[in-house]
Amino acid sequence: MSSSSAALRELQRDLENKANDLSKLQKDIAKNHQVRKKYTIQLGENELVLKELDLLNEDANVYKLIGPVLVKQDLAEANANVRKRIEYISAELKRLDSSLQDLEEKQHSKREAILKVQQRIQSHQAGKAKA
Amino acid sequence: MGKPEVKGTVTSLSSMFPPEEVQKAAKMVEGKLSEKQNEMNQLKEFIADNASLINLVQKLPDELHHDIMVPFGKAAFFPGRLIHTNEFLVLLGESYYADRTAKQTVEILKRRGKSLVSKVDALKAGIQDLKAEASFFDSTASEVAEDLVEIREYEEDNSTERASQSGPVELESPSVAEADNKVSSSEDDEYARLMSRLEELEKEELAAEDDGENDEDEDANANAAETETETDGDEDELTEAAFHRKKDEGYSSLDHGQRSLESQPRKQLQQSKGKDPMNEEMPTKYNHQGLTNQLACTGLTAEPVTKGEISHSRIIHQDTKMLNPPVNASVRSEKARSKQNVHDSSRNEKPVQTPKSEFDSSKAFTGSIIEHTENLEKKLPEQKTTSSQSSDSKPSKPVSRFKMQRK
Repeated sequence: MSSSSAALRELQRDLENKANDLSKLQKDIAKNHQVRKKYTIQLGENELVLKELDLLNEDANVYKLIGPVLVKQDLAEANANVRKRIEYISAELKRLDSSLQDLEEKQHSKREAILKVQQRIQSHQAGKAKA
Repeated sequence: MGKPEVKGTVTSLSSMFPPEEVQKAAKMVEGKLSEKQNEMNQLKEFIADNASLINLVQKLPDELHHDIMVPFGKAAFFPGRLIHTNEFLVLLGESYYADRTAKQTVEILKRRGKSLVSKVDALKAGIQDLKAEASFFDSTASEVAEDLVEIREYEEDNSTERASQSGPVELESPSVAEADNKVSSSEDDEYARLMSRLEELEKEELAAEDDGENDEDEDANANAAETETETDGDEDELTEAAFHRKKDEGYSSLDHGQRSLESQPRKQLQQSKGKDPMNEEMPTKYNHQGLTNQLACTGLTAEPVTKGEISHSRIIHQDTKMLNPPVNASVRSEKARSKQNVHDSSRNEKPVQTPKSEFDSSKAFTGSIIEHTENLEKKLPEQKTTSSQSSDSKPSKPVSRFKMQRK
């Protein structure tokens, strides 16, 4: 009896740990989603800028706001900068996507492990009840 | 043939969709819906601001300089002048600015406005979807509250599942299914037989097109056919209904034979898996025949009624013996008359046998044939022999749509 109750307690502790891990994973996934959203918006904005820059004349003045300073920039330079930024953002998004998949898989396996532990607890309790 | 067992499950919707969960789901959908509404409102504000900005930008270059009150700090203004009224530093996005004229600025603003409008449209579509979801949940919740029940029936032999949802616990389907089960056994075998019979029947029908039938009957048959196709579980009921309709309209005794043949395969078809195409066939055949057939069976109204009653009662408890004699008689009638796919019980044919010869060519078969698989089995061998005879005697005509064999 005592041994089975000790085992039962152990199983329950195990269950708690796994539940904590699962909640952590879920938070990570939520964060991932948020960052992804931000990046997606930025990507859209950058593409808009690129379009407008293409419509500008060669001699138009382009300025960039760096902190409180408005710095005059070359059109070609601005174009290059915007393109690089777009590439960077897309790469970040891909990375986030893969990490999101990882997290989801981990979450899935954690859930299954939790289920198993729960089943074992149930069988223990059933055994205890019979005894 | 073993009688197929009818297994049925009656599950209340409340057990399938627990009310709390339904409510939760409904609330979630509502939350999402309100979120989208907020976004939509924001976007609309942007669009309004954009429009007013365009106006302002268009007005500024009207003057060389404007006298204005310039804001100074948090709570002060001083009078000043707005100069270079045609030069604008436009924010392109991502902290990039460009010098533009008023016209060019307006163009940029207009492009921004377009993208905003497209976003609003996308949001609207999303809102519509959410609304549909919400309404579905609401209806489910109300159904659960009314204690609606979902009824499923299973036939072992044919492993056909019939699921019917009914209002507050209607149990007609189980009873009907059971009746069907009695009738339909070893459907697969019979299905093959039916197909061959149908082919022959079709031939006969085409041959008998001249005879014509009551348009009413055909309509009734078509209706019956259509109704029969509606629900599997209500076959017996439908055939009964069709039968009654037939009685009202009157039908020749000759038709009985044909009808029984046709209805049997029909019924079997309905019961078997391949029934759908057949069922569709039947109504079309009916309609066609209605157009072509003109003969109306008038003198037999009294007779058919009685016969119908007899046959109707027999339909339910049919045995194969009845089919044989009617089949023989019907063969002759087939030659004479039109090809109706009427469901008539084969029983009808029995009482009708004697007068059959009289009806040659003048009576239209308008009754509904209710066929039972039991009958079919026994009938088939006989039918095959008789049909060959009948086909010989009949003039060659286009194959009828019904491929039922008639004796």
